[in-house]
Amino acid sequence: MKLKHRIYKLIDISGLQLFDPVARLFFREEPQVQIKRITQFIVIPILAFGLFLLVWQIMAPRHTTKSGEVPKPGRVLDAAKGIWTFHNREKEKSIAFIASSDEANKILDNAKNRLEEIESSLIPAQDETIANLEILEQEWRDKNISPKIKKAANIEYEINSKQNSLKTELEELAGSIKANDKNAKEELVLRLEKLELQKSKWKIELAELKGTISILESKKYPLLERAQRKKDRLEEEKQYLSVYIGILTKNRNSKVEELNKKLVDYSNSFYAAESTKVMSSAKRLVRQKTRIEKTSESQYSAAKTLPYQTLRSLLCVFTGFIIATIFAIPLGILCGLNKTFMCAFTPFIAIFKPVSPIVWLPIGLIVVGGFIPDPENNALLSIINKLPIFSSFDVNPAFLASAITVALCSLWPTLVNTALGVSSIDVDHLNVARVLNLRFRERLISVIIPSALPLIFAGLRISIGVGWMVLIAAELLASSEGIGKFVWDMFNNGSSDSFAQMFVVVFLVGGIGLLLDRIMIVFQRLVSFDETAPSV
Amino acid sequence: MREDRYLNISDVTKSYPNPFGDEIAVVKGFDLTVTKGEVISIIGHSGCGKSTVLNMVAGLIPVSLGGIILESCEVIDPGPDRAVVFQAPCLLPWLTSMENVLLGLRSAYPSLNKTEHEEIAKYCLYQVGLDGSLKKYPREMSGGMQQRVGIARAIALKPKVLLLDEPFGRLDSLTRLELQDVILNILDLQKITTLLVTHDVDEAIYMADRICMMTNGPRAKVGRMLEIKFPRPRDREEILEDPDFYDFRQELLQFLDDCEAEKEKKKESELQLV
Ligand SMILES: Nc1ncnc2c1ncn2[C@@H]1O[C@H](COP(=O)(O)OP(=O)(O)OP(=O)(O)O)[C@@H](O)[C@H]1O
Ligand SMILES: [Mg+2]
Repeated sequence: MKLKHRIYKLIDISGLQLFDPVARLFFREEPQVQIKRITQFIVIPILAFGLFLLVWQIMAPRHTTKSGEVPKPGRVLDAAKGIWTFHNREKEKSIAFIASSDEANKILDNAKNRLEEIESSLIPAQDETIANLEILEQEWRDKNISPKIKKAANIEYEINSKQNSLKTELEELAGSIKANDKNAKEELVLRLEKLELQKSKWKIELAELKGTISILESKKYPLLERAQRKKDRLEEEKQYLSVYIGILTKNRNSKVEELNKKLVDYSNSFYAAESTKVMSSAKRLVRQKTRIEKTSESQYSAAKTLPYQTLRSLLCVFTGFIIATIFAIPLGILCGLNKTFMCAFTPFIAIFKPVSPIVWLPIGLIVVGGFIPDPENNALLSIINKLPIFSSFDVNPAFLASAITVALCSLWPTLVNTALGVSSIDVDHLNVARVLNLRFRERLISVIIPSALPLIFAGLRISIGVGWMVLIAAELLASSEGIGKFVWDMFNNGSSDSFAQMFVVVFLVGGIGLLLDRIMIVFQRLVSFDETAPSV
Repeated sequence: MREDRYLNISDVTKSYPNPFGDEIAVVKGFDLTVTKGEVISIIGHSGCGKSTVLNMVAGLIPVSLGGIILESCEVIDPGPDRAVVFQAPCLLPWLTSMENVLLGLRSAYPSLNKTEHEEIAKYCLYQVGLDGSLKKYPREMSGGMQQRVGIARAIALKPKVLLLDEPFGRLDSLTRLELQDVILNILDLQKITTLLVTHDVDEAIYMADRICMMTNGPRAKVGRMLEIKFPRPRDREEILEDPDFYDFRQELLQFLDDCEAEKEKKKESELQLV
């Protein structure tokens, strides 16, 4: 095969058909057609996304909430970067905690230098910039904002004084009306009614003015805002560095060394001890030994960053998905093979399929709680926690309940599709199996499962999509660590920065969902034996 | 005695219920006795019930009345002693040609081991001229090649009866001639009793020892038998030069025409009744 065709095939198999026209254009194959396809499938989506960003950029500042402005795209990108930096710093910290003294000394110098740089030059420099910008801001405010505020305040004042003068005028009028002057009295009532009407109109106008004023007041000079954010970041780094240096100077190794020194003292005093004190100093010695052991195994307890939570969510979704698959495929095959079984099973599918994860989750939590009354020393949990990947994620009952919820919700598409795939197997193929007198096992492995595989994988693809969608909600409710928990924490945090971080999560969840889907499509293609590719 | 009543299809009827619940006999009173090693062509108009008869012999569909006896055993289920080659190759698309042939061998010869199975499969694929495409998947092969695999899969079972249901129906005429010779060679070597359903008059004469002409359905049965006494192994050119060939041909065509005419008559009389 020529290189070119090999590349086309690779693109096709890897599910990146999007780039097929680019590759073909590169090899000068019908350039006109390819350019048309590129415009259609690549340029237009990019343009549409750009348009979306633009609309977002324009619309975001118009809507202020109690958590501040709706973040613009730039802020969201910043937040994403911030999340990533935070993650890396936590990683650095845990490395620092277990570093040997040589290594610790080496990084210590770097960290100290950086801290020095930040404290002595970067922050003061930034302060200066901010001070300069503040002057500029005052000018900007005087020129752009204050007149507007003044104007609004003037209108407000005018309305108020008009209202007051009208009121006093009417009061004076009322005072001067004689007891038998019916016409004048009626006129007064009319005018009073008019005034009330006018007042309610003014009220709305005043409220609007207040709104404008508060928005105007909260408007910040963009450059100043940016400079302040930069300073915040520097402060954050400074804080991080001082903690980091603290960890480096007093990490696991140094602690163990210190404890060992004491141990020597203790053992000396133990051997020198008189009979009355032998027992107590022996106890002290033993206690010290266990302390050393514990310390030398201790780990830095890193904060749960978004990347960590994402990995944990992925692990959870895969656990649930695999549980679902283990049940769904065999059950589906049984349903497809046997009409009676199918009939018996249909009501369950019909009833349980539409049940929302929000209902499954509490049930899952209770059931898991029933099986695992004491999570601290439960055999199953400790086994799971010793498994290779699971060990770094501290599996708890909430995790299991979320995984079970995912399984219960994502079971159905696979089950139904498997049953359909098995029952709609080509009659010719079945006849072949009958003529060849294949035994059940062989018929299953060589004929039934292969011909049902494309549909099974179509089901799996839907399942994993459903599972991923359900998982975030489940985690949020079960307050199981994971992306859902992260969102919940951000929601409770309520600062404008956490608002931006939630937007980051939106794109993260969407992106991972897309990725999972593409992976499943690739699998689906690999098991389809016909030329007809599955629709994308 | 056994030898000349090797396969006995006696008085077989197959009926399907029509939508109103009445049983309509597609085939009625079909009688045919086949000697061991004989090749029989079954010819008839489309829809007369040829496939139905063949599938009953294969055991794929049950008979309604009558019985089919193969070597003094009644046919009830499908089994590897009656290999079928379908009109479509019906290969499993996820298996290579080799694996497709191997598939049936495991249950046909459970006592042999894997290498022996592979030997047999290879030999059969060699016999149909596919020894170069053992590892090819059906989608990588032409229709003719796929049908060759189908034939290899059937003969690998060493069946007592080989059932061919229009095996060349979907192939172009050149490939068809080629495959006819492939099958004839195998039959001459192994002397397998064969039922060949076909539409093609020349093919029927060229391949068969006897031709079974079926009347039109419903209630189709054996209309006439025709003995073809050409010596084996056969040579296409010799046969085409033989004047008997044209007599046989004439007779077959005459029969098919008569059937058609009868059908017309029936229709007319039915119309008159209405
Ligand atoms: N399952 C079924 N139910 C009802 N009628 C059937 C069924 N299977 C076949 N038939 C009828 O039996 C008749 C014979 O069908 P069959 O397939 O045996 O014909 P054939 O001679 O093989 O035709 P062809 O040459 O076109 O393959 C047809 O008229 C068909 O309508
Ligand atoms: Mg047919």
